[in-house]
Amino acid sequence: MTGRGSVDGDPFEDEPAGSVALDEVPEGIVLAVSGALDLALAPTVRRSVERAARLRPALLVLDLTAVTFLASSGMAELVRTHRQLGGEIPVRVVATGRLVLRPLELTRLTDELAIHATLADALAAG
Amino acid sequence: MTAPPPGTDGPGPDADALLTALAGVFTAPDGERVPVERVALGPERLAGLPAAGGSGVLVPDDAQLAVLVPGATAGLVVVDREDPGGATALVTRVPVDRTHLVAAEAVVTATDGLRSALAALRAEAAVIDALQSVGRRLTAQLDIDQLVQEATDAATTAVGAAFGAFFYNLINQFGESYTLYTLSGVPREAFSRFPMPRNTLVFAPTFDGEGTVRSDDITADPRFGRNAPYRGMPEGHLPVSSYLAVSVISPTSGEVLGGFFFGHPGRARFTSRHEYLAEGIAGYSAIALDNAQLYERERNFTRELSRSMLPEAPAVPGLDVVTRYLPAATGHKIGGDWFDVIPLDGGGTAIVIGDVVGHGVTAATIMGQVRTAIRAYAVLGLAPSDVLRYVSALLETFAEPTFVTCFYAVLRPDEGLVYANAGHLPAVLRRADGTIEQLGEAMAQPLGVGRAFSERSAGFPPGADLLLYTDGLVESRTRDLTQGIEWLLEAVAALPRPVTAAACDDLVASLTGGVHDDDVALVHVHRADGAAP
Repeated sequence: MTGRGSVDGDPFEDEPAGSVALDEVPEGIVLAVSGALDLALAPTVRRSVERAARLRPALLVLDLTAVTFLASSGMAELVRTHRQLGGEIPVRVVATGRLVLRPLELTRLTDELAIHATLADALAAG
Repeated sequence: MTAPPPGTDGPGPDADALLTALAGVFTAPDGERVPVERVALGPERLAGLPAAGGSGVLVPDDAQLAVLVPGATAGLVVVDREDPGGATALVTRVPVDRTHLVAAEAVVTATDGLRSALAALRAEAAVIDALQSVGRRLTAQLDIDQLVQEATDAATTAVGAAFGAFFYNLINQFGESYTLYTLSGVPREAFSRFPMPRNTLVFAPTFDGEGTVRSDDITADPRFGRNAPYRGMPEGHLPVSSYLAVSVISPTSGEVLGGFFFGHPGRARFTSRHEYLAEGIAGYSAIALDNAQLYERERNFTRELSRSMLPEAPAVPGLDVVTRYLPAATGHKIGGDWFDVIPLDGGGTAIVIGDVVGHGVTAATIMGQVRTAIRAYAVLGLAPSDVLRYVSALLETFAEPTFVTCFYAVLRPDEGLVYANAGHLPAVLRRADGTIEQLGEAMAQPLGVGRAFSERSAGFPPGADLLLYTDGLVESRTRDLTQGIEWLLEAVAALPRPVTAAACDDLVASLTGGVHDDDVALVHVHRADGAAP
């Protein structure tokens, strides 16, 4: 007998699902995203951002260091976060490596998002 | 069935209370109570006694009593349910009347009723447990093939049939009904030679949803064997005597979705309990099938919607246009990819490709609106940068923020290409001499995000090829975008001329390894040699 019913037969379903961890640090809140930031993970990112925003942090950092794939649905969440919170809470993005940077460059989101190479930079930046 | 926990829900009184009560009923012929001893008996001394069936009171005969407690004149044995190996004898060594026997009989009578009631309750609970676990499993399943097989296996096991079959009706994409079946307990070959069962007298109640049919011997049923050509079971059919058949009826439409059929060569194998179980599993199967079919329908609907929104590229004089749209191989991630080829006044042609973030009906409907908006602005003759700017502004008025990448190019025989790119992947230009160039990389933000869109131009003389594509071609969770684009450029350089639809399919297959988990759309435009108007 099978365990949980598989809905999709996704050939990549054996890969670990992406995740979002919320860390409160002295400077603010860090949302550490790992795995594929795609359509499957985007709603989790959105909920985590909403949760973080309710905590009224001085700074929100989206740390994409451990992201292995950035799909357009993931980028849409970055833009949404930046535009919805940016007025009240500074939003910074940690992105390093071409897996994440290239899609951001092709969509010119690098013009709009505050992108830093490391978490330390993002937390330290004035 | 597992043993009940000690002392909680036993059929009879607590063994100690029983011993105390019974010790008080040993009376001499004159009615006076007599002294009674308690003698603990080990399992080995119980061996000669009639089976106690768990807990209860036994009455040893004189010979047994003499062995158990030499010198005793009368005795009763109380078996302790909480201590399966142990029992206690109540004995007396003086003459007694029959009062203790009457009391023992009363205890046995009372507890036997309780015991059988308890056994029945436990059996009920086991049935409900079994049904519930089957139900949970079935209703979590959306894959129809797996679902029907699991249901058939579970039901065949639950009713103790030699074999079981599930015939179910499905609707194909043309709206026609067809019937499939699964088997359990026998290999498929055992039935492969026979035609599908028809709506004969025996099967009709099940296929018509008129209720369960249970027979101790179906061959003796008056409805059996009335239809040509077989007049009974076809030769070579597995022997069936006991027969149980249950309809599977949709809880939403009331439609008969199929039927379970169980057989056993022995007579009278199926009881009302089996019937109840089979009906329960049929009920869960109906819900599960309904869910799976609704899911399937939604998926087909989205796929058809995306497909119907994709235009056929019109024939354009002087251009050979090949377009491909391949939905995700995994089926459920219908994206918002689209393309368009729009003839413009004055001999120009707009070539468009784009991708709406998200999937499903929402993405498909946004895609439809964006595509229409682009067509409308395109035929007004607006410059590519203006088309994208207006559409982006339009998207900002949508209730939900959205994110659409789009490459828009206008091709005129005398001017070549003028293009703008809203966050979409660069196009690939292959010149007549085979050199490759990417056009429009990182020119602007996506529609719905960006407000300003720049414009560039490139020559597009006869012999040149232009390829526009969506991200499913070059990236996935297992393919790095940068690497994917490099592979694409190599593959485009190697494309044969003229580029055919089959060559484009091969290109997609080779780049995605045949498994694209996202939609892939592409437009290939070749400017025919010397045929420019």
